[in-house]
This record gives sequence, structure tokens and C-alpha cells, in this order.
Amino acid sequence: MADIHIGKAPPLSAVLPFYATGALYFMALCVQFCLSPDSLTGHYFNPHLLAMVHTAALGWGTMIIFGAAYQLLPVICERDLYSSLWAQWSWAFLTVGTLLLVLTFRNFEAGIWMLTGAILIAIAAILYFLNTLLTSGLCKSYSIIRLFMVTAAFWLFITIIIGYLLALHWVRPVFQQSHLEILRLHAHAGLVGWFLQLITGVSSKLIPMFLLGKSPRTIYLSMAFFLQNGGLILFLVIGFFFTLTPLLILFTSLGIIAGVFCWLLYVYDAFRHRAKKKVDMLMKHSLLSLLCLIAACCCIPWMIMQSGFQSVFMYGTLIFMGWITGIILGKTFKTLPFIVWNKHYKSLTGKQKIPMPKQLYKQSWVNLQFYLYVFGLILTITSVAAKTSIGLQISAWIWLLLSLVYVGNVWLVLTHRPKLVANEHI
Amino acid sequence: MDISLLDPNYAEMLKARDALYQVMDPELMVNIMDLGLVYDIQFVEQKLHVLMTLSTPYCPMGESIVAGVHHVLETTFPEHEIEVNLTFDPPWNHERISPEGRLALGISN
Repeated sequence: MADIHIGKAPPLSAVLPFYATGALYFMALCVQFCLSPDSLTGHYFNPHLLAMVHTAALGWGTMIIFGAAYQLLPVICERDLYSSLWAQWSWAFLTVGTLLLVLTFRNFEAGIWMLTGAILIAIAAILYFLNTLLTSGLCKSYSIIRLFMVTAAFWLFITIIIGYLLALHWVRPVFQQSHLEILRLHAHAGLVGWFLQLITGVSSKLIPMFLLGKSPRTIYLSMAFFLQNGGLILFLVIGFFFTLTPLLILFTSLGIIAGVFCWLLYVYDAFRHRAKKKVDMLMKHSLLSLLCLIAACCCIPWMIMQSGFQSVFMYGTLIFMGWITGIILGKTFKTLPFIVWNKHYKSLTGKQKIPMPKQLYKQSWVNLQFYLYVFGLILTITSVAAKTSIGLQISAWIWLLLSLVYVGNVWLVLTHRPKLVANEHI
Repeated sequence: MDISLLDPNYAEMLKARDALYQVMDPELMVNIMDLGLVYDIQFVEQKLHVLMTLSTPYCPMGESIVAGVHHVLETTFPEHEIEVNLTFDPPWNHERISPEGRLALGISN
């Protein structure tokens, strides 16, 4: 047998529940959007929008990211996952905590249940952080991608702590500043600390791997790490202890945007030197999502200058529905079918004719998913810009249709049973 | 992977190579020979040694690829003991892909 350890994939119970639950939360997000499309036209601090944002950030984004990370951490860190049991518990805590948080936000019932939800999510985040740290083996061998993974997990925990204190603040005052100021810090700790750094780390490994590309310029990633973290820390420190003037917001944002730019330079360099010239539909999803991130960055100066909330909605839509949703829609079918396939067919390769991972889902549905995503996103953004209620209603239904197509395809993969051709050998 | 005409096991080596063409990389949908993952095949008495690599260390599909190598060689050479050794020295890169593999992957030269 092989003298080099190949590494065992974590058990399915440590990964698949995240994909199944994440898909359902995505549908729940789209249902909420259908029920209250006008929440994208008033003030951004409204119960329905808070419920939707937390469904998107925790139930959808974080849920799928946890599942994918538990599968990919061994690939990135070249070590087995430290604890599959902790992964399973983090799923239970995240699922129940998110449900409590979304329900209490929707009716805005600040109190014991909202705080309980936040505590459960904090426990899930601690389990994820420890699992990431101990799997990474960062102390033994350093790599910038591992550092991104561990730092992102740390920022998730910080985000949740700020969120918990904010929920407590609505029961009895904790902060001297306005809750809207703290909300801004909480949101950006999550977006820049958790999502941006996690996606920076994972994509820097996966995009070159899928495209058979390579970039020797890891200096870009190191620069991205210092700029993203430096900008965020400055933003939080000024926000908590001083006053965030428009100029200071612009200054710290530019630091973070420069970090994004360095990461995109690295991805572009790997893309330019790729061997596989043909870019499939799933990679197009991912690449389009990066354009949404760039567009969201372009909204920041507009947000600083404008007194209304249109720019905030544009920014939020581009971040959650454009960037995070786009990257998940693209990467789901680059990971999930392989995980399920590995379980069913790993021991049968070379023995019998077996389907390939790409045959576990419907490619035509992925194509439909892509077009619905592009159409839904464009319509949502133009409707927010034009403040048209009917446009938002139509776009909400498109997102719901998209979620049904996605959930259907995920369901096909999750419920796949081995199909063997009797007595037929290869 | 080149096979010398002077190799005393030339016929068996060809047979082993042909068998390995049946093992597919499930992600890239190309067989491992055309991907250039197999570095060496050696017959030593009743043992068949395969030295190969994976496209990346801790490749998620590594277990299934190695299992596939075992299965096809056990079927082709039932009287031999099969031993598969993995190495990442030299590490795999896409220069190792054969012209047929490049065609299948749509890779430019």
C-alpha cells in the first residue's frame, strides 16, 4: 500500500448536513424576500431585513462554508480533520441558533430567545475555530492560505460576540454609542473578517486547482492578509473608541479594498497561467461573483457621501446575493457530488462501470440556475436603484425559482443511490 | 512513462500500462496514464510495484484513484501482489499530461 498517507475524508455526517440545511435556509431566505420585497426600500434597520440578512449570513453562507471547510481543510492543510464530532455538534448549534435568531428578528423580540440563539451560534463558532486551528497545524508548518482560514474563524467568533452584545444592548444598554454604529462594526467584522478572509483563503487554493493554474506570486496573498486585517482592525478600533468620520471610513475602506485587489491579482495571475482554457459554468458562477464584490467595493464611496439608504441596499445585495450566493452556487457542485460519489463508488473504481461525479446532478439545471442568478441579480439591483416595488417583487420570485432549482439539484445528489450495471466490468 | 524494449518484462509492462488506462481521475474525467500520474511500473518476482503521484497532496479523490489502480491490476495480474507507492517528488504538474490528455481537457500547448 501507499507509503505516503493519502488522508481520509471526514465522514459524511460531518459534511452533508451542512449542505442540506444550507440549501433549505437559502430557500427560506428567498421565501422571506417574496413575503417582504419592500424591506429593501425603507430603512435598513427593520425586522424583516434583519431576519433576511441573518438567514443569508448564517443559515446560508456560514452553513455551507462550514460544511465545505470541513471537507476542504484536510486538502488545504494536508492533515486529517481534527474532530468530526465537533463538526457535527457545530452543525446542531448553528442550525438551532440561526433558527432562533431569524424567528426573533422577524418579530423583533429582543430577549432571552434572541440571546440564546446568539450563544448557540457562538458555541458553533468556537467549535469551528478550534477544529480549524488544530487541523491547520499552523504552528508546525506555515502557509498563508492556512493563516487566512484560521484568522477567518477567529473573526467569525469576534463577529458573533459583538452580535451577542448588540442583542443584549437591546435588552439593557451595553454600549455608549448608537446601536446603528455598533451594527456597522458587527456587519463589517463579519463581511471582511469572516467571509472575505475565508473566501480569499479557500479560493486561492481551489481556483488554481480547478483550472490547473498556478501563480508563484504568493506575496500578493501576504499583502492581502495584512491590508484586509489592518484595515478591519483600524475600522473597529476607531469605531469602538473614537468616531468614524466619513474620511476615516474612506481611509480604512481603501486599505481593505487594496487587500481585495491584491487577492484578485493573485487569482488573476493563476487564471492567466491556467492550463485549462475552457471555463465551465460553475467557474463562471465563481468568476461572476468576484465581479459583484468589485461592484460592492465601488458602492462604498457612494455610501459615505449619500444620506439615503439606496447605496446601502445596493452594497448589501451585491455582497450577499451577488458575491456570497454566487460563489456558493458555483462551488456547491464542484464539491458536493464528489463527496457523495467518494462514499458510494470509491471502492468500486476499476471494478465496474460506474457513473462519474458530474453525473450525480443535472447539468441543465445548473445552466438554468446560472441564468436565473444573473437575471435575478440584475433585476434586484436595478429595482433597488430605481426604487420600484414591482421590480423587487418579480426579482424575489426569480430568486425563489432559483432556490427551488438549486434545492432540487442538491436533493438529487444527497439522495443518490449507487447505480451498478450487473455483471458489467470495465 | 516510457517502457524499454529491452526490459525483460516488456510484455507485462505493456499489459499493466493498458490496464491503468482504465483508471479515471473522477474530477478531471481523464485516465491517470494520460494525466501523467504514474511514474514507474516494476515487476520484481511475484510483486508488481507502481510508483505514482496525485495532482495535489491530500487530493480528495486520492483514495478512489489508488483503489482503482489496485483493482485493475489485481484483475489483470491475479497471481501478483500489487504494491502502490505514492510520491510527491517530483510533484505533478500539467506538463506531464499527454497530448491525448491535453486534448480531452481542452488544454493549450
